[in-house]
Amino acid sequence: MTRFVVRRLASAVVLLLVLTAIIFLLQAVSPGDPVKAFLGNNASPAAVAAERQALGLNDPLPVQYLQFLTNLLHGDLGMSFRSHRSVTSDLAAFLPATIELVTVSFVFALILGTIFAVSGALRWRGSAFYRGPLLVLATAPPFLLALGGIVIFYAQLSWLPASGQGADTTGPTGFLLIDSIVTGDPGTWGVAWQHLILPGVVLAIAPAIAIGRILRSSLESTLQADFVRTAESKGLKGHVVIARHVIRNSIGPALSMAGLQLGFMFAGVVVVEQIFSWPGIGNYLANSIPVSDFPAIAGVTLVLGTIYIIVNAIVDVLQTLADPRLSA
Amino acid sequence: MSLSPNRNRALRGVLVALAVSSMITLTACAANGPQKPNPAPTDGVLTVGLLNDIGQPPDPDVYYANNGLAIVLNTYEGLVQYQNNVDTRQIAPRLADSWTVSADNTVYTFSLHPGVTFHDGTPFTSDAVRQSFERRLAVNGGAAYMVADVSSVDTPDDLTAVVTLKNPNAAFLDYLASPFGPKMESPTALQANAGADNAQTYLQTHDVGTGPYELTGAIVGSKYTLTQYPGYWGTISPFTSVELPVFSDVSALQLAIDHGDVSVSVANLPSSSLPKYQNNPAFNSDLLPTFQAALVLTNPSKEFFSTKESRTAFLQSIDQQKLVDQVLGARSEPATTLYAKGMMPDGLDKQNLSFDPTVMAAYAKTLPTGTPMVIGYASDNTNAQQMANIVAADMQADGVQASAQSFPTSQIFGWANDPTQGPDAFIDGNNGADGGNPYMWGHVFWDKTGGINYFQCDDPSTDADLNAAVLTGDNALFARAAQTYSATGCYMTLSNNKDWVVSQKWLQGVPQSQNIGANELDFSKLSISK
Repeated sequence: MTRFVVRRLASAVVLLLVLTAIIFLLQAVSPGDPVKAFLGNNASPAAVAAERQALGLNDPLPVQYLQFLTNLLHGDLGMSFRSHRSVTSDLAAFLPATIELVTVSFVFALILGTIFAVSGALRWRGSAFYRGPLLVLATAPPFLLALGGIVIFYAQLSWLPASGQGADTTGPTGFLLIDSIVTGDPGTWGVAWQHLILPGVVLAIAPAIAIGRILRSSLESTLQADFVRTAESKGLKGHVVIARHVIRNSIGPALSMAGLQLGFMFAGVVVVEQIFSWPGIGNYLANSIPVSDFPAIAGVTLVLGTIYIIVNAIVDVLQTLADPRLSA
Repeated sequence: MSLSPNRNRALRGVLVALAVSSMITLTACAANGPQKPNPAPTDGVLTVGLLNDIGQPPDPDVYYANNGLAIVLNTYEGLVQYQNNVDTRQIAPRLADSWTVSADNTVYTFSLHPGVTFHDGTPFTSDAVRQSFERRLAVNGGAAYMVADVSSVDTPDDLTAVVTLKNPNAAFLDYLASPFGPKMESPTALQANAGADNAQTYLQTHDVGTGPYELTGAIVGSKYTLTQYPGYWGTISPFTSVELPVFSDVSALQLAIDHGDVSVSVANLPSSSLPKYQNNPAFNSDLLPTFQAALVLTNPSKEFFSTKESRTAFLQSIDQQKLVDQVLGARSEPATTLYAKGMMPDGLDKQNLSFDPTVMAAYAKTLPTGTPMVIGYASDNTNAQQMANIVAADMQADGVQASAQSFPTSQIFGWANDPTQGPDAFIDGNNGADGGNPYMWGHVFWDKTGGINYFQCDDPSTDADLNAAVLTGDNALFARAAQTYSATGCYMTLSNNKDWVVSQKWLQGVPQSQNIGANELDFSKLSISK
């Protein structure tokens, strides 16, 4: 297991280095001028030229890249041209909101996907009325779902808020749900949940279907397996058979898909954060791209890449634990 | 029980139909907006919706962008400003009650308003003027040029500041009145929080100004909060607090306005939403004058527009009235002047481009069939996109293979380094100079050292006239500069644009709180209607 983890870590480092090199290359061929983001659009060419020199943007690309890597080793991702703050502190400010949203959304996806799968596999009465709308919603692009959700639940029904987190994070972790508990503020906790529901559900629907479909198919094939019939014929109760035998033997592919979807959710959070004005790294990235704020773009890419790699590594480990044959 | 596949499909079809029809109905309801006014706040909080984060920190010596001016202009004050609620360029007092200018435009003497204090309690004196100018130079941001020519700030007494310039400059008062102009900053607070960067880190989340509000919360990307400064020397509004939530999607902002969660929004909504609010009894819809305009620029570095004749023919084919009617609507009017409206006395800078599409049609006939032409627009400007599409369609009718193409902001500003990388023409949906002096307009748009001359189309005689005119403020010379540049065929003022401010019916004083140069509101002048 240790060798497996070390191997995954080494490949992750190489992958991230390649990722940063690609971003650097893209920056070099991009015709954009990030210094305007730093100084402002009306800045004179003379001021822009002086600032470009000061920011080291006139250095040869390999020199800039080496400098970037050296700084990275010291935990310094550079300064955002747009916010004039260190990218590290920007990410520290924005990342908790994204992690909170994706985590809640992932839990929603697991719940919705499991109900979808189990209700389908076990032929629950009336389950089509749940699966049908979920399938329909999953075919809609996230921005349309988001706007539809806002129009219905915010503008028309006034049931849910439509933008932001609803409160400021003043606690130690940066996660509003946790900080509000730590600081003993149930009001903020409730407000935070209200603001999480719409973006959380919008982000969860497509992954829920992906996870649910795999789990359902896996459950159906397991339900037909000989060992299940044997367990039933031995007189074990239905729920015991399902809990002990069916789910354990069906969970592998769903786990793999859930890990994949979790990675995709971090990548897909940009659109949802934009529409719901969610102060996370997706929104930060969306604001940085149009002005070629390279340090910010590279920082977000590194973080998202790292999360993706870590999630997949964890899924691999969990799969190995669930089915020891995979580690062979 | 499970449904058969056929019934399942039928059920899914019904659900899709229901979902689509519900969405259409609800969207239609939302599109019309509420017809009943939302209630006024009772907690003294004014909510001002920001579309996208302010970008740069709200430090007046750093901030050189757009919507963050709502924060800068309500926490800081300059010596002068543009007169509120008029549609021409008039310098008005702010922290300076009066001023005199020497005959050669080199010495500006300001009499400062007595009894003003900074938010940290420090009295505002002439020494603060000197130190504020010095910090602007030290920080060296995009608008540092405004004080670069200051040779000294003398302080004969606490309430008199004498600013001496190295060279004559008739635009200096406009520099000071500009929303990006130097603002007065507490020397005590600057010194106490100087750090290693002239207090730039401190000013990311605090302010050191004299304005009606203090910056008390700055959560980048999420929300900014202003709290009324109890020691403010000017008008005190009923709003004890101003919250500025950040919306990253215009539809979400619009729904928040409809819902009453946002009190006012300045220049954020697209022109296509005008009809929804203009005659809606639940809202105020104010169209207020600005020095902003839509522009059409041609690229002389591209084969298509390598001659003056081809460029002029294209500009003559632009139907200003049609573009205003079909796209910009009531927030704009076809431009008749070369500088922004309100900068020059009537008629002196008349734009002599008469609409005549036959010239372009004739020119197009001389081109090989299917000659391509790219008309660019900024990717974040839907008005420019629509206008580019219309112009491209008109060009296609002439036999040119024209297309409209979107470009991100950073790429647009990169064209100046190599104009051959730009499109053949560019439609700028809304742009402006830092202030209302004709020199500021001509310099940034026409001089290639100015900053927004994207295609580097330069005419040395224009530059010479502008540089001479700014020494004396000679309007005839400014007018000549404009006409010679117009003759290059590189530039057309398409429309004069207004600030479109949508606010709740209960909000009073919007026109009185805006000035032609600021593009933002003075929150201290807003109130709740009885």
